[in-house]
Amino acid sequence: MLDVWIDSIISGILLGLVYGLAAIGLSLIWGVMKVINLSHGAFIALGMFTAYFLFAFGLNPYLGVPIIFALGIILGIAVYFVALHRIIDAPELSTLLSTFSISLFIIGLGTFVWTTIPYAIDIHVGSISIGNITILGTKVIAGIVSIILTILLYIFLYRTKTGKAVRAVSMNRVAAELMGINTTRILALSFGIGIALAMTAGALIATIFPFTILSGGVYELKSFVICVLGGLGSPIGALVGGLILGIIENVITLQIPTGLVPFIEFTILVAVLLIKPSGLLGGEV
Amino acid sequence: MIVLETRDLECGYGEVKVLWGVSIKAKKGQLTTIIGSNGVGKTTLLRAIMGIIPVWNGDILFYGEEITKMPTHSRVEKGLVMVPEGRMVFPHMTVLENLEMGAYTKRAEEKKDEQLEFVFDLFPRLKERMHQKAGTLSGGEQQMLAIARGLMSCPEILILDEPSLGLSPKLTLEIFETVKKLKDEGLTMLLVEQNVHLSLAISDYAYVMAEGRIKMEGTGEELEKSEEIRKAYLGI
Ligand SMILES: Nc1ncnc2c1ncn2[C@@H]1O[C@H](COP(=O)(O)OP(=O)(O)O)[C@@H](O)[C@H]1O
Ligand SMILES: [Mg+2]
Repeated sequence: MLDVWIDSIISGILLGLVYGLAAIGLSLIWGVMKVINLSHGAFIALGMFTAYFLFAFGLNPYLGVPIIFALGIILGIAVYFVALHRIIDAPELSTLLSTFSISLFIIGLGTFVWTTIPYAIDIHVGSISIGNITILGTKVIAGIVSIILTILLYIFLYRTKTGKAVRAVSMNRVAAELMGINTTRILALSFGIGIALAMTAGALIATIFPFTILSGGVYELKSFVICVLGGLGSPIGALVGGLILGIIENVITLQIPTGLVPFIEFTILVAVLLIKPSGLLGGEV
Repeated sequence: MIVLETRDLECGYGEVKVLWGVSIKAKKGQLTTIIGSNGVGKTTLLRAIMGIIPVWNGDILFYGEEITKMPTHSRVEKGLVMVPEGRMVFPHMTVLENLEMGAYTKRAEEKKDEQLEFVFDLFPRLKERMHQKAGTLSGGEQQMLAIARGLMSCPEILILDEPSLGLSPKLTLEIFETVKKLKDEGLTMLLVEQNVHLSLAISDYAYVMAEGRIKMEGTGEELEKSEEIRKAYLGI
């Protein structure tokens, strides 16, 4: 019995790291741009399909991570200029509607091309066994890749000139512009990185679970719950929030049906918003 | 030589016009001051000069070159630098990181070490608090940081929007002494202040603004002697 628990907790931690990665993307976009990205789930799903097709062409999805990340940045920057740039100073409702329509567009097109039947990446990387506990290799790698990407993001934000400019824009856009920072470029880049994180998280999840073009919605909800747990705008908070959610989710499904998970996630979301709207961990970029 | 000039500048917010044709000049090596009560459009004028808000009519010239439609960051790249009202330091960055952000442009980055030494000399208190988060500084220290950060940008002209706002009389004097010191170093400055007496005393040239228009102009001395100014602003 204890083994089952330990097994669930380890699985929860590994999956939580991946959920955290997706949530960091959402959190970064909010923190820098003050945009609530309702297309996050659609891009997570797009990441899943990108990994699927890279795999079909013979590329290992883990080796494909840099490609998917780069693709995400390019796609995100393009979407920024098409759908967000002109309304970035408008009230938040405008950007909310705009990202929602991006989501409808991607999901509509995806449904047309791939229908909504489930896809799966048939990858085998073995598993790790310690005593009676067996952890799937795909989960282990997904967790490790998430940690590496999070560390790289931190190095970027705190050690590089462009990364510092991203933080400056998140704190005060006018002041950042007054430093000579081209804030339009920084906003576009931040959206690109946020989308890249969503797509990469999607790709990692696709190596573990089957998916459809609609799957992103589930993970978008998780991202929102995580951000609320960790405090919107704080990457490290998002990672910790991801761990908490991953563990809760994997432990409670030992006792209750999986179908109830979204209900519980919503309950956590509402409860945290009622008790401490700034997030349990608070914090800022 | 004229560093900065506005010609019949008109602008505002939404439908509301705030500036009704403002013309000012700031000459090289001089301290030019704009005084005027609350809400007359001083900050709006500076925002237009920096390109933070669009100009409706009129021109802005920098060393004779028209920059009316240039994006803000490009103006900064050229050396047009503003220390905004309300300081706007980056609260979650350290003092040193804030200063580094000031040296963001290529032009400023080249002289970063030199400038850093200069501003730490000017504000030794900032050196002591180098690794402290800017948000934890006192109001006076944040103002010093905002000025120091502006200096890090290697300004051709430094624009200061009410640097003494909200500061104690003692700190206000300190800020004015710093401005005087920078003037003596030969820095070109455009100062916006409500502290009329202190500003006129150190200004080379001054403008009086009311209701979005320039109402009077002259050397600091001339304005200080003017009957109108004495009645309206100095309460003598
Ligand atoms: N962001 C804004 N939106 C709308 N009106 C503004 C804004 N900022 C200032 N104003 C208005 O413009 C006028 C001039 O303000 P401002 O330039 O800040 O004056 P000052 O700096 O001289 O105190 C005021 O009537 C003020 O209410
Ligand atoms: Mg003002």
